[in-house]
Amino acid sequence: MAAVAAPSVFAGAANVISVGVLLAEFGMFRQALLRDQVRLYAAQSGLISVLAIVVAAARHLPELYVLAALSAGLKLVIVPLVLRRLLRGAGEASPGEGWSDIAGTGALSLASTVLLAIGVAAFGFFSIGALGIRSPVLPLTALAISVSVALVAFVLMIMRRDVASQAIGFLSLENGISLTALVVAAGLPLILEVAFLFDLLVVVVVFGLLIRVHHGRAESLSTADLTSLRG
Amino acid sequence: MSAALPVPVIQFLQVVTIAAAAPGVSGVIARVEARLQGRTGPRVLQLYYDLAKLLRKEALAPEGASWVFLAAPLAAATCYLTVPLLIPVLTSYGLPLGYMGDILGGGFILSLASFVVAVAALETGSPYAQLGASRAKTFAAITEPVVLFVVFTVALVTGTDLPYALAATVRSSAGQIVRPAHLLAAAALFMVILYETGRIPVETHTGTNEFGMIEEARPFEHSGPYLALLKWGSAMKQLILYTILLNVFVAPWGLAATPQAGAVALAIVALAAKAAALGTVVAIIDNSFAKLRLFKITEFVAGAFLLAVLGVFTLYLGGG
Repeated sequence: MAAVAAPSVFAGAANVISVGVLLAEFGMFRQALLRDQVRLYAAQSGLISVLAIVVAAARHLPELYVLAALSAGLKLVIVPLVLRRLLRGAGEASPGEGWSDIAGTGALSLASTVLLAIGVAAFGFFSIGALGIRSPVLPLTALAISVSVALVAFVLMIMRRDVASQAIGFLSLENGISLTALVVAAGLPLILEVAFLFDLLVVVVVFGLLIRVHHGRAESLSTADLTSLRG
Repeated sequence: MSAALPVPVIQFLQVVTIAAAAPGVSGVIARVEARLQGRTGPRVLQLYYDLAKLLRKEALAPEGASWVFLAAPLAAATCYLTVPLLIPVLTSYGLPLGYMGDILGGGFILSLASFVVAVAALETGSPYAQLGASRAKTFAAITEPVVLFVVFTVALVTGTDLPYALAATVRSSAGQIVRPAHLLAAAALFMVILYETGRIPVETHTGTNEFGMIEEARPFEHSGPYLALLKWGSAMKQLILYTILLNVFVAPWGLAATPQAGAVALAIVALAAKAAALGTVVAIIDNSFAKLRLFKITEFVAGAFLLAVLGVFTLYLGGG
């Protein structure tokens, strides 16, 4: 059996950071507190900014520095801030349940969910491998991982029955897309990237409001109450 | 330049190093853990004194226990003394007996040791020992796939599954260290080691709290020299697993590249220092996390499995 050659140091580092993004996505299955969920999302976004900086330095794409800074400012500072501000009423006001409102809302046990997500991630991984896309900027593995991040985010949104995890799942889905964009189209005009980032801000506000309204009506972050609305 | 040692002597030294240093490494961990908790803690050499005392005491066996009960500690210790022949303990080049078995072979021998101890625990008829054996085997069945995936990763990275080959690959370039497959496999192996050595977050190492007892419960009915062998065996198992993680995956530096006596002596010191450093990390983890509930251990293992599987995935697209 032939040994698989090691990637270059740059490709290896880029792959490690992308794997970190994917692991953060898996970590979200485990988080029991809304605050920790938001924190993990911020960490995941931070990894993507780091990756943008690594690519900018190694591939001499100076506009990626600007993108990294903007993305870090928005996803590391503003989004968590807005989310916390909007959820303050929903999370902290009721001390009994409080932030731990979203614990144990999984439809399956954690271990089963992780195994299911591994299967889904494998599907994303090998389907990208079959497509045979080549990127001049980043290794193919990073692209495959970014698709897996998006798919695992779907698993998170499906498996967790609380609005907060579903919002975070959607936002981290966007992180997966950012990762894809970084791999496939690192040379994208900056103005387009910035437009996407501001779209994200709108999404956050809309989600925050939805969570607030839901919490106001159902007095819980769980979506189980919505089942009774079926006709 | 010092004299070159004959190969059989180095081979023998590998076993002696593991056997002699193992209680010391356990002692360092216990000491560091105690210091971190603000206690003075036992002496680093405490386990040696314990073993010496136990070896002088009389041995008792429960009524109805057969020869299996008494043979198991000897068989387990033999297994633990065999594995150091297969792994790079002191030298960076393969010694003749090092090719007797690959990583899987070493894993099988460690499993055999764990199996005979479990059978002996069943022999006793004591509920605690049986409970420990049953739990150990239950969770061993779910850590085994993780070990297999780590071995697959090694096999894909090097094209062989000899531990010497992986250590040489890791030393060869920086690209081999930052590749995700290597980092993920090493992290998964570390989690398995935390499980196998009965550390937090899987088990409290020194407690006699039956709710969480796994490894610690098994030698409950053994006494005297047999208990000493079991205690020594689990210390040796711990050092063997540390050696595999350090000298194969994480830090395969400081090994003797020549059979010179000086280089080998340096390698012994380096191994002891690396194992003590890793033991300190383990002690810090011990003090920073809470023990998982017994039924949450599957989540811990699922995490290790995730890392190992991702390691193999990344290799498949050539990027690992």
